[in-house]
Amino acid sequence: MSASPIARQATHTQAIPSRRVLITDPTQMPDVYSSTPGGTLYSTTPGGTRIVYERSFMMSLRQSPISQTPPKCSLPAALLKNPGSVPHSQPSPVQKKSRSNSISFDESQETFSMDL
Amino acid sequence: MAGNNTEEVEGSTVTETKTNSNAEVPPEFLIKHPLQNTWSLWFYDNDRNKTWEENLIELTTFDTVEDFWRLYHHIKLPSELRQGHDYAVFKQGIRPMWEDDANKMGGRWLISLEKKQRNSDLDRFWLDVVLLLIGENFEHSDEICGAVVNVRAKIDKIGIWTADTSKQHANLEIGRKLKEQLGIHGKIGFQVHRDTMVKHSSATKNLYTV
Repeated sequence: MSASPIARQATHTQAIPSRRVLITDPTQMPDVYSSTPGGTLYSTTPGGTRIVYERSFMMSLRQSPISQTPPKCSLPAALLKNPGSVPHSQPSPVQKKSRSNSISFDESQETFSMDL
Repeated sequence: MAGNNTEEVEGSTVTETKTNSNAEVPPEFLIKHPLQNTWSLWFYDNDRNKTWEENLIELTTFDTVEDFWRLYHHIKLPSELRQGHDYAVFKQGIRPMWEDDANKMGGRWLISLEKKQRNSDLDRFWLDVVLLLIGENFEHSDEICGAVVNVRAKIDKIGIWTADTSKQHANLEIGRKLKEQLGIHGKIGFQVHRDTMVKHSSATKNLYTV
């Protein structure tokens, strides 16, 4: 597998980390709707917390089409390279590849029901 | 039954997608890779009509590998800057000056480059230093504040700034790693900012040497 953990997370399916929290009394429920019992929903991510990249990997990302696009901020003209010396990105045909792996849902079916 | 069907469908489409992207664009090229820290790129303009602090400009920040490369591809290399100019890359919120709270107990590993190294080593060393920083390649990367490159008439300098001079173990690890990764054969020294403030940097004694 050549993809980095981050690319794998973005491009391949993987199990969603889950944890069960047993609620025995309404007072154990968080008082705001943005929180879930037992803590915030995505408090941890698979793969750890410190993001480390090796030089060779970052050098390979130098060729990425995204890395060739001009920066979004405005920079002093005196600092810009001559336009001719900036490497041009090869237009990539699959940039807008449709997400073929999106699962089609039966929209008439209710996703979930809730007793209020 | 229904559950089994869904799994089969998912499995086959995933395989198909993987084959497609391998043939055309590697998955790494479809996304941005987040960095552990957000970093600021600073520029020191050597305008004689301005104070030292006025000359120091925070150009922008970046927090992904790709956003770093976007900047790098479009701005001049250190060797293309005018003499007297600096670049600095610091963790967001830390100003590249001794007086900043994050730096006042700190110091720097100093790499001095003779003028003849400007064409051969300056740009390569600077890029490698920045990649070591933003890729969090030091065991004690929490001690890192940032890095500065000074383009000067006689000696160009690259300084790697750390937060606390008293942390001998962490500072030595950073110094050894720098030397090893850059392929420096001679000695490099670590100077305390408080000493550099009162003396010319060439006269400042080294607290550590590797």
